[in-house]
Amino acid sequence: MNDILTSRERFGLLVIDEKPDRCNIMPLITSHAATVKGMKVRDYYTNGENMARAQIAAIDKYEHDAISIFSEVGIIAEAMGSEFEYPENDLPIQRTPALEKKDIEEIKIPSPTCDARLPVYLEAIEYAYDALGDRVPILTYIPAPFTTAMMLSDPNKFLIQTIKESSRVESIVDRSLAAAIELCYHVIDAGGLPIIVDPLASSSVVSPKTYRQYALPSERKLVDFLHRYDLDVILHICGDTSPILDVLPQTHADLISIDRVNMQQAIDKLSSAVRIIGNYDTSRLAFSTPDDIKAEVRNMVEGALHAKQGYIAATGCEVPIKAPEENVMAFVDSVKEVGWYWV
Amino acid sequence: MYQDLTPEKIGLKEWSKQFRMVGDSEIKEFKYYNNDEWGIYLSPPATFMVYGTRQLKKLKFDNSLAALRLWGFTFNESERLFRARQSGKRIIAAMGDLGTVPVIAMAFPDCIPFYPDCTWWTPFFNESTVLLDKASELGTPEASCFVRSTLAAFHKMAYFPKPDIMFASTGASCDDYSCIMQMAEEMGYELNWLEIPFRRQHRSFHMSEEHAVTDSGFKYPKRFETYLVNEYKRVWRKMEALTGTGDLKKLNASIEKNNRVRRLVNDIKDLTQTADVAPFPALEMMVIEFGNLYGYADIDEWLDILKMIKDTVADRVEKGIGILPSDAVPLAWVTPTADPLLLNIVEDLGGRVVATEYVINQALTIIEEDIEPFQALARSFMNASLIGSTEERVRQIAGSVDSGKIAGVIITNMLGCSHCAMETRLIEEKLKNVPVLAIDVPAPLGITEQLKTRITAFIEMLR
Ligand code: SF4
Repeated sequence: MNDILTSRERFGLLVIDEKPDRCNIMPLITSHAATVKGMKVRDYYTNGENMARAQIAAIDKYEHDAISIFSEVGIIAEAMGSEFEYPENDLPIQRTPALEKKDIEEIKIPSPTCDARLPVYLEAIEYAYDALGDRVPILTYIPAPFTTAMMLSDPNKFLIQTIKESSRVESIVDRSLAAAIELCYHVIDAGGLPIIVDPLASSSVVSPKTYRQYALPSERKLVDFLHRYDLDVILHICGDTSPILDVLPQTHADLISIDRVNMQQAIDKLSSAVRIIGNYDTSRLAFSTPDDIKAEVRNMVEGALHAKQGYIAATGCEVPIKAPEENVMAFVDSVKEVGWYWV
Repeated sequence: MYQDLTPEKIGLKEWSKQFRMVGDSEIKEFKYYNNDEWGIYLSPPATFMVYGTRQLKKLKFDNSLAALRLWGFTFNESERLFRARQSGKRIIAAMGDLGTVPVIAMAFPDCIPFYPDCTWWTPFFNESTVLLDKASELGTPEASCFVRSTLAAFHKMAYFPKPDIMFASTGASCDDYSCIMQMAEEMGYELNWLEIPFRRQHRSFHMSEEHAVTDSGFKYPKRFETYLVNEYKRVWRKMEALTGTGDLKKLNASIEKNNRVRRLVNDIKDLTQTADVAPFPALEMMVIEFGNLYGYADIDEWLDILKMIKDTVADRVEKGIGILPSDAVPLAWVTPTADPLLLNIVEDLGGRVVATEYVINQALTIIEEDIEPFQALARSFMNASLIGSTEERVRQIAGSVDSGKIAGVIITNMLGCSHCAMETRLIEEKLKNVPVLAIDVPAPLGITEQLKTRITAFIEMLR
C-alpha cells in the first residue's frame, strides 16, 4: 500500500488518539545519518547544517517518519563545563567531567545560543524545519537531568553519591534540570519537538530505587514543564527498564520508548496509559541479514500494532553508525508491509 | 494572575518569553468542551509551530492574553473536531453557504458544525504545498483556487474527521468551490446539496411581485426567501433524521446564541475601526470575523473568548492605546487575504485596516428573533456577499469612502480563482473615487520583495 499521509499528519493523528493510515516508523536514526550522507561523524555533530542535511538525506533514503536531531547525551554537560574530545569518525568522548574541576555552585546554566555545541543543535533544527518541517516532525533529543548529572561527574563517584550524598546528587540533578529547561525553550522556538532521553537512568545502570529517587522526579518535572506547552512528550530510556515499567507512567510522559524489555510485558503494563515506542534490537540491525530483520520486525509490529493507546515502530536504541543501509531499509520496509490501520 | 503588558504586536519568540509569566492555573482555566483531560488550549504560537504551522515563525501577534486565547483556540480546531467525534458528538460539514447551516445544526444536541472549505487557509498557515500537490494529484486543475486543498483534506482525513452529514451550497455560489465538492462526492462522500438563489433586483415594472429588502436597502423578490426557507427546512429534516430529534425552540435558542456572537463581533469591529489608535491587529480581527461562521466548533467557548477580547479592546480604546502608530493610513480590505502574512505586512508598512468585505456579510448580519426562525435565517442570508451584484457587495465600502474614513482600498485576488478574480476588476471600477491596490495572492511562500514594494508605494502615495 502507498502512504496516504505525510509523517507530520501521521504523528499528529497518533497523539490525538486517532489511528493514522499506518503506524509511525521512527527508528532512532541519529548519527547513522552521517553514514548515509557520506560524512565524517565529527562533521555531523559539530555543524548544525551538516547534521540537518545528513538527517534529510536519511529521510530521503529510508522514508521513515521523523528527523532526529541528536548525536550524544553529553551535550548539555559539555555546555556546563565537561570536556570532550572529538574523534574524526566517532562520537565525542568525555575526558574531564565538569565536577572534577569545579564545584556545583560554579557551574552555570548554559546559554543554548552560544555555549559548546548547543547552537549546533539549534541550527540543525532551524535548517531541517525550513526544509521539511511541514511534512516531517523534527524530534530533538534532550538529555534528561539525571543523565546530564552523571555526565557532569565521575560516574563511579556519582553512583556512590546516590547512596551516600543524596542532597548533593539532588542539587546536581536540579541544576541539570534547569539547563534542560533552558535548552527546551530554544528548541521549541526553533521548531523541534523535545524528546527526553535518559539512558543513564536505565535499570542496566542504576537500581530501581535510585531511579525512583532521582531520575523519575526530574523526568516528571521536565515533562510537566513541556506539558505547559501542550506538547506530547516522548521519554526514551535505553537498556533494560523491566524493573521500572510500572512506575514509568508516573513520569507523565505521553509516549514511552523502550529498549531491552519484553514488548508484550510492556504492552500489558503500559499500553492503557501511554503510547509505546520500540523496540527492535539494534545489534540485530548491525549484524543480521535483511531477510531475518524483516521477519523479526514483522513479528514485533504485529504484536504491538494494536496497543491500546497507540504504537510507534522503532529501534530500542540508536541505529549503529555503521549499520548496513540495507538492514535499516529492511526494518522500514517491513513495517510498511504490515503496519497498516487503514485498509 | 497574568497582567497584559503595553499593547504591541510581537513575534513567536517574544510570545514564548511572555508565556513564562502565564500561570499553570490560567493555562488550565481555558478549555474547549469544558474538558479537563484534553480540552486545554492556551499555548503559545510556538506549540502550533512545532506541530507544523510554519508561518507562525513569521507572523506577529497581539500580546494580550485574550489574543493568546484566540490563537490557541483556533489552532486547536482540528484536534477539537476529532475529540468531538471521540466523545460521541456528531460532526456536521457545512460548505459554501458560510454562516447559516451551522445555526440550524447547532439546534440539535451534540452536533458540531464546521467548514471543511476553511482548509483554504491551511497551505498558507503551514507554508506548505502538501495539500495543493495532493489536490493536483487527485485531478483538480491548478487553475482552480486554494479551495482545492479541501479535496486533499477529504482524501487524507487527517485535518477533520469524516463528517456524519454534509451540506453543500450550489447555485449562486462559487464555481471553483462547487467543482471541488462535486469531486468530493465522486470520492464517495454523500453530499446534501442546497441551492442558493441569485439575489437579483426586484423589477419595478413588476409591482405585483412581492419584494423584500436587505439590511443595506436592496430590493429583491420575496419568493427567493421562500425558496431558501424550503431549502433550510430540508436541512432541518435531514438533521432530524440524523439525530432522531428536532425542537424548533432550540432553533430559536441557536439563533439567539449566534446573534450574541454576531453582536459581540460587531461591537469589537466598531471599537477597533473607530478608535483613534488601532487597538487590535487586522489579522486577529479577520480571525474574529470568520468565527461568526460556526464559532470554531465550540460556540460557547468562542463566546467567552469574544467577551474577553471585547474587554481588552474596550480597555485599550478607553486608554487611547493600541498596536499601530496614530498616523497609520486607513484602508479597506476587500476579499479575505488567503495568506495571513499580508495583513501583517500591510500594517508593518504603515497601513491600518478600518473596513472589511471578506465575503461573509451574511454571517455578520443579525438574525431577526421575532419572526418564524427559517424565515429569519433566509432573510439574514439574503444579505450574503457572493449572491448578488458587485455593486451591492462593495456598497458599504463605497459609503465609507464617501464619508472620508478610508484613504485607499486593498483587494486580494487569489491565484487560480475564477470567481473572485473576475470580480476584482469590477470592484476596482465601482470604487473609482478612491485609490485601489489589487494584490494577486501568490501560492504559499510566494510573497516577494516586489509585492512589498508595491504595498509600500501604495501606502506612501496615500500618505
Ligand atoms: S477564493 Fe474565489 S474561487 Fe476560491 S473558493 Fe473563494 S470565491 Fe471561490
